[in-house]
Amino acid sequence: MTNEEVISLIEETLEIESSTLNSETLLDDILEFDSMGKLSVIVMADDEFDKKLTGEQMKKFKTVGDIVMFLNA
Amino acid sequence: MKGDQLLFQNKTILITGASSDIGLSLIEHLSAEGAKLILHTSNKQSEEKLRHLLSNIPDIVYFNCDFSKPHILEDVYLSSGLENIALDGFVNCVGVRSRRPINLIKPEHSIEVMQTNFVSFIEMIRIITKKNRFNSPLNIVTISSISSVTGGQGITIYSASKAAVDAALRCLSKELAPKGIRINSVVCGQINSKAYHEMMDSKTEQHDPILERQFLGLIEPEKVSSMVMFLLSEQSAYITGSMIPVDGGYLS
Repeated sequence: MTNEEVISLIEETLEIESSTLNSETLLDDILEFDSMGKLSVIVMADDEFDKKLTGEQMKKFKTVGDIVMFLNA
Repeated sequence: MKGDQLLFQNKTILITGASSDIGLSLIEHLSAEGAKLILHTSNKQSEEKLRHLLSNIPDIVYFNCDFSKPHILEDVYLSSGLENIALDGFVNCVGVRSRRPINLIKPEHSIEVMQTNFVSFIEMIRIITKKNRFNSPLNIVTISSISSVTGGQGITIYSASKAAVDAALRCLSKELAPKGIRINSVVCGQINSKAYHEMMDSKTEQHDPILERQFLGLIEPEKVSSMVMFLLSEQSAYITGSMIPVDGGYLS
């Protein structure tokens, strides 16, 4: 999946208007990235990428790009 | 235990989800009280692990079946040599955890959780309550959760599956009483188990708000299995169709 496609998937998962996020967007600045938003990303990583994301890993992510890198690794 | 008489001497007890922490605790205590055990696991790998772990306990019958496929359960049960064994007790410890926000609950996910936690349990009861497959009195206990009666974000389908089981057992207690069958659930709070710690690892917030209300703290699996043993025994002869809490005070 291209980085752009992963970003749109994150937008869709968090129910954010498309094209509002980019790799540099800080996760702390995303209102929708609350506890349910984080759970949504964990479930999406499992469903779409077959990757298990722990809470510990999630805490290390600072930007949208960090999530994209993890998912595409 | 009274004198030399063991509580479950010559009693045959089926435990489904036997490799769970509660299952393992039950195996230890029921075999110490003389029970003959039939142990279910969801796959061959878990069965092998159990066989290795329990090699010192004689005469255990094993069967494995994926509870997300309830339609094959009866064939697997019968082909595992259980057709001619009459049960005195059945404890259901199967329970798949599910944490998903509503936007990611697809029908296939709901169906899988409901089939594993609810439909297969009902199917097991149908299978084991046929003529000659149980002795009267037969005591059935299933592991429920405080989620059956309270709600939490992200656990919609898990809660619904546990509540479905608890609703069903109220009906089944009445329907099965004439056959000498009792059925109850143990409503558990947070258990100090592998599943609990895995769930906490997937959270970004390490503080568990449930433990504020569960003021007696995390519950050891042994404390649940001792309640199950009570419900399996004739000491609880007048309890049926009930949800008995072992919840560390959560529901108070």
